[in-house]
Amino acid sequence: MRFVRDLFAQLVLLRDVGPGWSAVLVVVRLADRLVAPVTAVALSALVGTLLGPSGPQLFTTALMPLALLALVMLVGQMGEAAAEPLEYLVRSRVDGAYRGRLIRAAGARRGVAALEDRRNQVLLRQVRADPEHGIESTPGDGTVATIRWLCGLAGTVTTCVVLARFSWWLVPIVLVPAVITVVVRYRLLDLVTGGWERATKGELHTDVWREANVSPAEGKDIRVFGLRDWMVDRMQSQLREVNGPLWRSVDRVIRMEWVMVLLMLVGLVPAYFLVTRAALDGATTVTVQTAVLAAGWSLYQTGGSSLDLFHMSGAGRVRRSLARLRERWESMDEAAIEPADGARLLPERPAGLVRFENVGFTYPGTEHPVLDGLDLRVRTDELLAIVGLNGAGKSTLIKLLCGLYRPTSGRITVDGTDLAELEPEDWRSRLSVIFQDFNRYPLTARENVVLGAPPRSGTGDDEADLRAAAEEAGFVSVLSWLPDGWRTPLSRARSGGVDLSGGQWQQLALTRALFAARRGANLIVADEPTAHLDVRTEFELFGKLAERRSETGIVLISHRLSTVRRADRIALLDGGRITESGTHDELVARGGSYAEMFAVQARRFRDDAKEA
Amino acid sequence: MRGYPALWIEVLRLSWRHLPAVTAMSSAVIALSVVAVPAVAYSLRATVDATAAGHHTAALVGAVGLALAYALTSALDEMSGQLLNTAADRTGRLGVHPLVHREIASLRGMEHLERGDFLDRVDIVRRGTGQIARSAWNALLTVSSVLKLVVTVALLGAVHPALSALIPLALLPVWAHRRGQELVRRAEVAGAESQRVQRYLFEALTGAASAKEVRTAGSAERLLGLQGQAWRETERIRFRARGAAALWSLAGWTLFVAGFAAGVALVIWQTSRGVGTAGDLVLTVMLAVTLSQTMRATVAATAATSRGRRVVEPYLWLRARVAADRARDHATARPPEILSEGISLDGVSFTYPGAESAALDGVDAHLPAGSVVAVVGEYGSGKSTLVKLLLGFYRADGGTVRVDGHDLDGLSAEAWRSRSSAVFQDFGRFHLPFRETVGLGDLSRLDDADALRRAIDAADAGSVVDRLPQGLETQLGRELGGVDLSEGQWQRAALARGSMREAPLFFVLDEPTASLDAHSEEAIFRRYMERARAHALRSGAVTLIVSHRFSTVAGADLVLVMDRGRVVESGTHAELMALRGRYADLYGIQARAYAPTPTE
Repeated sequence: MRFVRDLFAQLVLLRDVGPGWSAVLVVVRLADRLVAPVTAVALSALVGTLLGPSGPQLFTTALMPLALLALVMLVGQMGEAAAEPLEYLVRSRVDGAYRGRLIRAAGARRGVAALEDRRNQVLLRQVRADPEHGIESTPGDGTVATIRWLCGLAGTVTTCVVLARFSWWLVPIVLVPAVITVVVRYRLLDLVTGGWERATKGELHTDVWREANVSPAEGKDIRVFGLRDWMVDRMQSQLREVNGPLWRSVDRVIRMEWVMVLLMLVGLVPAYFLVTRAALDGATTVTVQTAVLAAGWSLYQTGGSSLDLFHMSGAGRVRRSLARLRERWESMDEAAIEPADGARLLPERPAGLVRFENVGFTYPGTEHPVLDGLDLRVRTDELLAIVGLNGAGKSTLIKLLCGLYRPTSGRITVDGTDLAELEPEDWRSRLSVIFQDFNRYPLTARENVVLGAPPRSGTGDDEADLRAAAEEAGFVSVLSWLPDGWRTPLSRARSGGVDLSGGQWQQLALTRALFAARRGANLIVADEPTAHLDVRTEFELFGKLAERRSETGIVLISHRLSTVRRADRIALLDGGRITESGTHDELVARGGSYAEMFAVQARRFRDDAKEA
Repeated sequence: MRGYPALWIEVLRLSWRHLPAVTAMSSAVIALSVVAVPAVAYSLRATVDATAAGHHTAALVGAVGLALAYALTSALDEMSGQLLNTAADRTGRLGVHPLVHREIASLRGMEHLERGDFLDRVDIVRRGTGQIARSAWNALLTVSSVLKLVVTVALLGAVHPALSALIPLALLPVWAHRRGQELVRRAEVAGAESQRVQRYLFEALTGAASAKEVRTAGSAERLLGLQGQAWRETERIRFRARGAAALWSLAGWTLFVAGFAAGVALVIWQTSRGVGTAGDLVLTVMLAVTLSQTMRATVAATAATSRGRRVVEPYLWLRARVAADRARDHATARPPEILSEGISLDGVSFTYPGAESAALDGVDAHLPAGSVVAVVGEYGSGKSTLVKLLLGFYRADGGTVRVDGHDLDGLSAEAWRSRSSAVFQDFGRFHLPFRETVGLGDLSRLDDADALRRAIDAADAGSVVDRLPQGLETQLGRELGGVDLSEGQWQRAALARGSMREAPLFFVLDEPTASLDAHSEEAIFRRYMERARAHALRSGAVTLIVSHRFSTVAGADLVLVMDRGRVVESGTHAELMALRGRYADLYGIQARAYAPTPTE
């Protein structure tokens, strides 16, 4: 019984809230759900008093039930008022803890293949508990709705007791159609949440345009090429297509509402008719009649509103999608090569030599190998430049070096130990990578730099390292411009924050890498760090990196041969392997592909020199 | 609240156009719910009174009527929730969504996408299309709730005039509740910043591209800590506000219940003197219960309306910008078929809004028809701004740009752009099938296979296509089940897109080969030079190349050297070298880097 399983799963999440707040919410909701039947009882008691012997004492006898009625109303209002913040808190705690767990689970993947996978991305979008449709359910929504529903059951029982005061057989007459209503409603809404699940997948294509339209890069193309109307038409036709099934299921729920009305009439008409006739015949009192009339309908309310049932069904789907995602993640982990017998740590001293031995690599789900029989030595006391044609596999090489993917053939060793056998975190702490699309956190300048290295165990003093790294990277000039120095958030959307320019970000990334170097990384990998920098800045940056090479090895990926030539060694990546390697002069003398590439770039200048 | 009613009417019109049935039903449900308020209370009174009096038929009819009234009320309740959600969600997607995206793309300039704080507003609007639609329905709900309130109070007054005193009393909890909701609304705004940070960090920790760096840097734990901290910060702010709001509304309700109890006591006292009936009491209690529900609904509706301001305000701001743009942009003149003189800039200045120093500061230049013009300069010298101005993304603050003697401001921006083409440094990466990514460069020939082939050849992108698993039909973007392109492959795709229009008057190549290797760069430059010459012959086109690689600009007919927003040198390569100024200086640095023997 899926419904019951979901119910328990939702309640288990209350452990993230703590017993105190959970209990308070349950009490408040219980009080709130009991209001309808108890009001009916108090009202009928009052009516009973009024229909009794009249006289001056009537007023005083009526005071008791009146006070009860007022109290019930007040409790009801209190419950309603208090439930709002409590439900918010429960929802927020459940979702917060849930998102934390999700991040941890994603972080526990052995490589990035499991994150890059498309179906996993779609699943992640569904389970991340951050509604974009506005009506999507989160686990917190599910838990809150479940509490309401269960407390509603208590209300239902109380109402049944009130009805039973007239006769036991009145209970099934009213209750059975009410239960059918809930079941039908849940079934219909379950179809809706299913449709919503599919629509989420489909809207990924629409997102391409939604995001393009607010991006400065795509925005320029949209204007120059006059894409506006075409783009909007495209988005709309996609929206219609992917939401069609969802909308049809919603329409059905609306159309089915008359069935609910009918069911309610089936339950209430005979009940009210029979009770009233009994009261007319004197078989029962008007007090009982009033209680039944005022309480009967509430069975149809406490059974659960559509919104609660929707969230219960939606949260169940989120839970099942998460299970599917975990399964896929784990199976992809298994596909990654396991460390032989427990991961090993590197010795304390800095790593000295990394070797790629006949490494081949093919991305999962593709056929073309990106790397094929690649041999390369990377030493941590030299500046190695890797040059390659576009699409030669330079970025893949970095991913393998970082242990984000495992080679499909061959191996990578660090001082003789297979990278696959090393504890990945230990190995990565020896590395500092400036990726082409490095992260730009909307956090303070300080955080942005400190996040370049794993936190130091014990009480480390960041300040000295920070200052030194900033000094070395030339970031101090940017710092002096920041209104609040290191504490300035680097995003204009934050209070007191500013936006950095592309060049300033690049300097920050360099500071980040140098900070990591001070924290024990002894190999800096820089992927095209200067692609969009101008000549002078590029030269300065290269100079700064080059100065460090005795302490920290540097791998520079670039196709700017004017920069690359100053490296200690140059390796040419072509067709998935290293075809040439040596110093600039050696490679030029050899007259191979590198020499040819260099000649092409240099020709203009030389031609010109001859003319001059 | 200026501009709101007009927006709401427009939204309701859109709703009617796209979803006539749902719109009609929603309106009917809202209207009916006002009428349904007294139905339950009256039929209950009738039944109880008739039973007490022993009127058989009346009592039984009353009982059945009561069942009907309950069924109607609860159906209306359920349906209004579903119908309004449906109406808002679908009107949002079908009506407001295209409207908003069209408006965003209609803005002539790029400022709304380039300034962080503006982009923030645009982002709120584009994510909130459903809420914009919802705000119109919330406004209707507010009206109907107020009507319900009036009806209920009027009915109470009919039972006993003294009960009318409940009207001012009822306003008390409404006022208190509203006050509380205002606190909640403010907390929504105050908690938004940490919420955004939290969301960004979540994406960074779980997204494929950013997770690479997070793993290698070993920063996951720290980021997770920051993410949790941001989440709790939002929670703290918002929980506290909700708690305070609950106290406010509780205080209001306590007063109301006390007053109500006094009212009921009055009715009882009357009954005990034989003036009223037990039914009157039942009616009073039922109406009071309804009253509290109605008040709650009223407050909820007004609170929702004021929450909607979070989205509606930025939307009205966006619309005002679009309107201002349109008002200025009434130019309809079309550019000439063929350029005969060229493009000239006369004292052109431009300062980015909010910036302190000018990005362009009195630029004078003439780009002759049929020429290849190179613009060089260091980072931030104004090259990109110049391009943006020439393509009409921004208007010059001072000076004029003339195209064959016609003021560029006098030309329709759309028409001018339709005769231009460009490849930008930060080109678009459209995750579409490869064929469309390129074909977008000329929509009218999106399905023209020959044109596509020629553009791909021009950009030397044939090798990229050959490596794609499904060739031209390959979907790009791994998150869509396609493949990811490398930086250089994207650049070629962008070049091919820029080559789709075959007879532009103005063609811009902004750092077109930054991510390309030496071979490709050389090949592409040779081709684009040929292409520029061909364009020049056909339409007198001006080709503008922005670059900081001097080897690529030496072949240009005219080189403009920019520095701090000015053209400091101009001439042919040979002239500039002879000048021994800035150009010769920068050229020297690069030439030395390529000199046969190392110079270090």
